[in-house]
Amino acid sequence: MSEQAHSQTGATEAPTAGAATDDETLIAVENLKTYYETDGLRSNDPVKAVDGVSFEIERGETLGLVGESGCGKTTLGRTLVRLETPTDGQVSFDGTDVSTLSGDDLKAWRQNAQIVFQDPESSMNDRLTVGKIIREPLDSYEWKTPRERRARVRELLDLVGLRSEHYYRYPHQFSGGQRQRIGIARALALNPDFVVLDEPTSALDVSVQAKILNLLEDLQDELGLTYLLIAHDLSVVRHACDRIAVMYLGNIMEIGDTERLFTDPANPYTRTLLSAIPTPDPTADRERIPLRGSPPSPQDPPSGCPFSTRCPMTVRPEEWDDLSEELWDRIDLFRTVLRERARGADTLGTRVRRTIGLDDPAADFEEIRESTFGDVTVPEAVAVEVDETERRLADGGEPAALAYLQDRFGSDCDTNLPAAHVVDDSGRTSRCHHHREDVAGLDEPTSARPDR
Amino acid sequence: MSTDNTDDAGAVLVEDFEDRPIRERIAENPRPAAIWALGFAALVAVQFGAIAGVLVNSIPWGTLLGPFPPIPGSGSVNAAGQWVADLPTLLSRELVPNEGYYVPGEGWQETFLGLSPALAWAFRVVLVYAYAAAFVAWIWYAYVLFRRHYRYADWTPRDDVVARLRTHRWGQFGLVIVLAFVVMALFAPVLATAPLEQNIVDPYSNTIEYYDNGAGEVVETTAGDANRESASRGGDSNVGPMSYDNYDRFHPLGTMPSGQDLFTFMVFGARVSLLIGLLSLAISSVAAAALALFGAYYKGKLDLSFVLISDSVQAMPRLLLLVLLSVVLANTWIGGLYSGAVVLALIFGATGWPALWRAVRGPALQVADREWIDAARSYGQASTTTMRRHMLPYILGYLLIYASMTLGGIIVGVAGLSFLGLGVDSPTPEWGRAINAGQDYVTTSSWHISLMPGIFIVLVVTAFNALGDGIRDAIDPQSDGGGDADEAAAGGTGA
Repeated sequence: MSEQAHSQTGATEAPTAGAATDDETLIAVENLKTYYETDGLRSNDPVKAVDGVSFEIERGETLGLVGESGCGKTTLGRTLVRLETPTDGQVSFDGTDVSTLSGDDLKAWRQNAQIVFQDPESSMNDRLTVGKIIREPLDSYEWKTPRERRARVRELLDLVGLRSEHYYRYPHQFSGGQRQRIGIARALALNPDFVVLDEPTSALDVSVQAKILNLLEDLQDELGLTYLLIAHDLSVVRHACDRIAVMYLGNIMEIGDTERLFTDPANPYTRTLLSAIPTPDPTADRERIPLRGSPPSPQDPPSGCPFSTRCPMTVRPEEWDDLSEELWDRIDLFRTVLRERARGADTLGTRVRRTIGLDDPAADFEEIRESTFGDVTVPEAVAVEVDETERRLADGGEPAALAYLQDRFGSDCDTNLPAAHVVDDSGRTSRCHHHREDVAGLDEPTSARPDR
Repeated sequence: MSTDNTDDAGAVLVEDFEDRPIRERIAENPRPAAIWALGFAALVAVQFGAIAGVLVNSIPWGTLLGPFPPIPGSGSVNAAGQWVADLPTLLSRELVPNEGYYVPGEGWQETFLGLSPALAWAFRVVLVYAYAAAFVAWIWYAYVLFRRHYRYADWTPRDDVVARLRTHRWGQFGLVIVLAFVVMALFAPVLATAPLEQNIVDPYSNTIEYYDNGAGEVVETTAGDANRESASRGGDSNVGPMSYDNYDRFHPLGTMPSGQDLFTFMVFGARVSLLIGLLSLAISSVAAAALALFGAYYKGKLDLSFVLISDSVQAMPRLLLLVLLSVVLANTWIGGLYSGAVVLALIFGATGWPALWRAVRGPALQVADREWIDAARSYGQASTTTMRRHMLPYILGYLLIYASMTLGGIIVGVAGLSFLGLGVDSPTPEWGRAINAGQDYVTTSSWHISLMPGIFIVLVVTAFNALGDGIRDAIDPQSDGGGDADEAAAGGTGA
């Protein structure tokens, strides 16, 4: 897949050096936001599934989209094919803005962008024959004559490696991999330019996964398709994609060339994600960076960097520069513990019990303190802050304690969304304050800060 | 085969497996279809007169064509139509007459082959049911032939449904009784021991002949007089089931207090029950399906508004509404249609949809969340097509189950209203009125007047529930016969 795209890019680049970039961009996404309205009893905040992403997809390329479940990658994919309506921002497809299309214009555009769904069990109506399932897009657009449509379906069945006598079978009669082939045939029926592959292999056996990926690769070569491949299996994206976008909590944290991103991840989140890939060599000494806590709710994301609440590499304010790496880590952990507790305590029952004095928020503070700071030496300056935190916790509960900690130990990470910094010569970008000129880089020791 | 595919490598393959419309597939192998068509034609031919009779006489052509100027030669068309309608049919009172009289020494007169009226009538009943069974079997045979010779798919999900229904004895029991009930309603004039007009509607304008033993000759009297002499009113005045009255008329279920034949009353009563049941269910099913589909597809406020509307409808006391409307509408044109049966059907339909809608709303919401609905949206399928093709088939089964279970409830409801004197008016027969009429004689020798219709109602309602159970188990093998049957049946028993 990647080879083909590269050669194609190279070929088109050569003659029309300057103007090529515009022609090659099939999809340009700018500050796209997709929010889901909620009508909860206590909070009306929308779920910010996609919260301002910008990127481009070039013609003939495969862009991988990875991230934890719930990070908004599926919503982003669905928004690109307009199964969801964007709340804000632009999606320009071949130069036209499709984010606001509706009615007949939307229907006319839809043939250009199709989607292959994750679950081949539920993505096709089991009461229709395979032929009817694949024919439906053609019927919907009244493509040519019914006879030609049937011929086209047979052609498609052949194209995805099924036999044309499968036309009159039902989805029940096929295995998962075969069903996914049917799903691919349906997505290709209208000859789209762009196909969103929403975890097309995650419901399949490993041996079948490879076959489906190879099929997708062959189809891309043959038909010049552009893919957005959504996956949480990192080995799949590494194998199949030209570029990768890493998503966290509705934001793209890092996007760039696959190999470079894998070998030299720039963003802390990418690093933790990649460190989770198991290596086949048991003797290899690799540092696994554990992720603390659980992802924040997309209804109430952190105000600064989306990853700040779990980042193992947050920027330190100057006054704490001389703390040891280990102690700083413990302070981070301490904040994480309180944050998790705050989330657990945010229930009506706890509130009532606290109001009438049945529940003391600081009751188990000593335990927390012991387990986080027990085995490190805590300097007086930090111990004072921890004591003050305890007082705030007892008076105002977790929110007050967290506000105090943020005030004392917080940095830009907690307040400002980092810009997308270009991190290498291939144009890879990453959102992290560490890339800023005035902040120490990720791999530099803290003392190497330039402005000191 | 399209021209732009012929140079394609896949085209050869495609050509091999060219599919044709069913018409061409039959043309290629016409034998099974021809045999079936022949058999079907034979079945229709023996009843052709009756079918034409329905077309010629039941549809008010005069009213329909009234506004148009008279067409030249329409007189001869009318005459031809009437001639066709009068063709002898296999299943008719004329071909197998059962009304006659016994002349001592000469045997039965005017009956079929000189058989006793009881045997002649039984023969006609057997003939009707044999014909109906043959007809149903022949339709089934069409499905078998289609599967064997003309269908491309070697398996469809429906095959499994049929296979499961084949081993479902309880459902089959229901199906048989329901079919028997439907045949009873359809063939009521043939099954009845006496014509409706003569025996029940206008007995004093119609005459019958009988052999007067005293006078020693055949005399004529009005049916009304004969009825009065054969009334079942307990004590000595009683004509019980399977007996003759003094006028040599056979009464399979005995007579009513008015002397009318109870069996004739029952078969024509089946027509009213079925009409009310089917009409009201058609109304409520269409409403329920449409609301469920739109509510599930668009969700949100639309669905919520449907919930509120259905709650409001269900909050109205159905029985009071029925009583109120049947009184208010009694003297209007719509109240007069079929002795008030149409009004009852409309009321049952207009108040019955919320229950059906609630039953299918869950499945509709469930299917609306499936990914194939999203897939349909991704290739621009129109919302109504999506609902019809991708959602409706999944709720149709549920609709069928609940509808068949509700039908029993409606039959009970109509009978209950008629029992109270509010439902279908005289002279149109209705089962509930028969029960009411026999109420005073339950403890006397005329016990049959209430008991027989009661047994019929129990049997039919049970059968519809059994059929619903069978369909449910056939459609959804995971489901186990639960409490919904009772619940659905209880839904209609407002009266």
